[in-house]
Amino acid sequence: MEFEALGRRALDTASARGAHYADVRFENVRSERIEVRNGVVASLADGQSRGYGIRALVDGAWGFAASSDLTDAGLDRTAARAVAIARASAAIARERFGEVPPRAYVDRYETPLVRDPRTIPLGERVALLLQAEKLVHAGERIAVGRAWLDLWRTEKFFYSTIGSAIEQTIVQTGSGVQAMAVGDGDVQTRTFPGDIGLYKSGGWEIVEEAALTQNAQRIGEEATALLGAPQCPSGSFDIILGGSQVSLQIHESCGHPAELDRVMGWEANFSGTSFLEVSQLDKLRYGSPVVTIVVDNTLPSGMATCGYDDEGTKSGTSDIVRDGVLRGYEMSNDTARAIGRTSNACVRAQSWEFVPMIRMCNLNLLPGDLPFDGLFDGVRDGIYMEGNRSWSIDDRRLNFQFGCQIGWEIKNGKRGRMLKNPTYAGVTPQFWNGCDAIADLASWNAWGTPNCGKGEPMQSGRTTQAASPARFRQVSVGVGYQ
Amino acid sequence: MNAEQREAIARRAVERSRADQTEVRVSFSDESLTRFTHGISNQNVAADDVTISIRAIVNGRTGVAISNDPGDTAVDALLAQALDMASFAPSDPLVPVLPAGGPTRAPAGCYVEATAACDPAARAAIADAILTRAEREQYWCAGYVSTSSAGTTIANSSGALASFDGTDAQVNVKATAPDSTGFAEHYTVDVRELDGSEAGARAADLARASAHPRVVEPGQWTVILEPPAFGELLTYLLAHFSAQNFSDGSSFCSDGLDRSYFDEHLTMGDDYSHPLAPSMPFDYEGQPKSKVALVDAGVVRNIVTDSYYAKKLGRPDTGHALPAPNAYGPQPLNVVVAPGTQSTQDLIANTKRGLLISRFWYIRTVDQKRAIVTGMTRDGTFLIENGKIAGGVRNMRFNQSIVEALGAVEFSNAQKRTGQYYSLVVPAAKLERFTFTSTTDF
Repeated sequence: MEFEALGRRALDTASARGAHYADVRFENVRSERIEVRNGVVASLADGQSRGYGIRALVDGAWGFAASSDLTDAGLDRTAARAVAIARASAAIARERFGEVPPRAYVDRYETPLVRDPRTIPLGERVALLLQAEKLVHAGERIAVGRAWLDLWRTEKFFYSTIGSAIEQTIVQTGSGVQAMAVGDGDVQTRTFPGDIGLYKSGGWEIVEEAALTQNAQRIGEEATALLGAPQCPSGSFDIILGGSQVSLQIHESCGHPAELDRVMGWEANFSGTSFLEVSQLDKLRYGSPVVTIVVDNTLPSGMATCGYDDEGTKSGTSDIVRDGVLRGYEMSNDTARAIGRTSNACVRAQSWEFVPMIRMCNLNLLPGDLPFDGLFDGVRDGIYMEGNRSWSIDDRRLNFQFGCQIGWEIKNGKRGRMLKNPTYAGVTPQFWNGCDAIADLASWNAWGTPNCGKGEPMQSGRTTQAASPARFRQVSVGVGYQ
Repeated sequence: MNAEQREAIARRAVERSRADQTEVRVSFSDESLTRFTHGISNQNVAADDVTISIRAIVNGRTGVAISNDPGDTAVDALLAQALDMASFAPSDPLVPVLPAGGPTRAPAGCYVEATAACDPAARAAIADAILTRAEREQYWCAGYVSTSSAGTTIANSSGALASFDGTDAQVNVKATAPDSTGFAEHYTVDVRELDGSEAGARAADLARASAHPRVVEPGQWTVILEPPAFGELLTYLLAHFSAQNFSDGSSFCSDGLDRSYFDEHLTMGDDYSHPLAPSMPFDYEGQPKSKVALVDAGVVRNIVTDSYYAKKLGRPDTGHALPAPNAYGPQPLNVVVAPGTQSTQDLIANTKRGLLISRFWYIRTVDQKRAIVTGMTRDGTFLIENGKIAGGVRNMRFNQSIVEALGAVEFSNAQKRTGQYYSLVVPAAKLERFTFTSTTDF
């Protein structure tokens, strides 16, 4: 392994300085961003970042230090810094909380690729976006067209004082198009695929799956049509949400409140706490019996799919909500032990310079058994909404309000006229208990989010909430425009 | 890495470049943060890094390559990479001549050695003082103490060469009582100004004062926003003053400048040199920052530009470029709102019925053009009756156009620095009409 000798030096230094346990994670990160905006390449950037982060455990308290200085002196200085920080943590700790991870692994993992993005010439990548963006301009009122592509390749090398040696190569890919129409004192935006594009782990096949050029013109036409569409009405309606919007609903109202560090108050001053208190475990009826939400960090093409998390715990699957009842959390070693469980490998760091922490990983709503069109049956007076435009939820993750890019009225089971500015609001358990149908596997997709924020210093996480469209009964609609 | 070292790397790269135009940014940062909750430090971290970013422009085609390896060989490879990438972009006739820079002077006191040198034990001592204060109240608290130093150098082929070094120190704490919460924050360049005990006491006082919160009905209220709440709200208006949003037609003021959009009490500008928040005197293209009057007595006077939008719109380059590549356009990052004449206590005393709001949470834009946003109150919301605080109230959700809310506003006479990610210097704001749409049970 490329970094094995450097890792040994860092761990030896940390141990010599007094660390009871230490691990070091080297990362070599390559990121490419191309963005075309109104026919111009607004971003054509290739970034490379290499460095390492060291965790040290002293007297039951953790310290973390990171640096891009890969010299022996840099490694020694950074290891010593991690130990000094851990010692400062121990000095103010009212209780001993940190423990040595329970198990070591020696292994390798690589994201399976159909087509390595590096084999696609840069000119071809740029040309695809230029073509897609041009198609977005479906009318004179499209003020801004955008098309973008993100490629990430992360090589990780993890070593610990209990003998872990884990090498991973993770490749993630995303792309999308957007149209912004301006007119009559209004701005309307449409994005495809989903809210932010299609982001998955994998190679160029993810870009091909996004089918940008096949959909760009329709997106432009819809944005233009929205300018003249009637306002979404206010009131209580049955609603059907498109798959990407269900994905965000899971993200905000289940993914974040099920982070066990948040439940324990570790995020209180920033991201907030959670209504999913440990005392509610195995008792709380989070949703209706059709609602089952699982952590699956082995999901093919999930943005958080990997062999091992950043504490060196092996990926697997576990229940968060099963048949509507709260059954588990997203956990790290320390937090899991505090509630008598073991970690389900939900610890990630944004990159080498960030401390690993509990992150929402692949958290998926399992599909139901109705075809998508079947969701509309039985809706007498409702709204179908697609594509998120705004999202907000309180700091216990109960009171939420979402806005979507586009809606259509539903009358007697049929999709009717287009509506603009659809918004809906609710309280999390009531909302999920009103979910009475989820579309089947045919419309289930691993919707990825490349920029989930949490922690201080703020970290941006890559996560997937696989979902299909779903139906919710008697939801408050239109509050954003009352 | 000091300014001299950064400038040597940047100069060498510019000299060796074969591009028509070249811009080199060399940055260094050393950031530490001690986070705590209940009785432990749950995240105690430090990280140092360098960034070298090269923008190469050839025949109106632009490529950007970024790395964190400052070695000569790596920088040479980065130059070649940026040049190669540029060849794949179509030519853009609006690509400007890079700014030639000019003399700049860092605001006084923007770099404090005590902050740069602060060690983990010193941060832990501040955190310990906060924890101790909370324990005295039998509350639990969560927050952080952070210190950082950072330096940026910009050099380009037009002759610009500018360097800046600054420090930052912050404390943030939320105190949680049985049925209420309170918070405190302090942003400064000098870690010696951070007082853990005082911050802990302020958070605890707010939690105690908002205990046993009552339910009030949603609807239209008069609100007084403490600086952290007003700053959070204002953040969602700032991009409207970007030349890009203005040019796209998505800004509330795209229909024209020199028009009255707000109450005459609102005067707001972008000023990197305010003593409460001294900042970099040039932008990420090396252009000296202008002090820009965005709003003068309710009239929108200016937007901020960079070299691209200055050329596109035929306006002066105000020096508000973000780092390349930048698809977001220029942004006002150092916003200052002028104070009023009354104290916050006077604003409360002159309010028959209203709400005093300490802090907002999770504000998001609902309607771009009208600047309608939604969000929640958090960590200390109070009912005002007949000019007096009548106790805490449960948290509520709002849906409100910021432009319309600022159509009837008064400000307190004391400004504070706020904004973890934007640098804002703002007073408390009294908004006559603010619409809440739902409440919570906490």
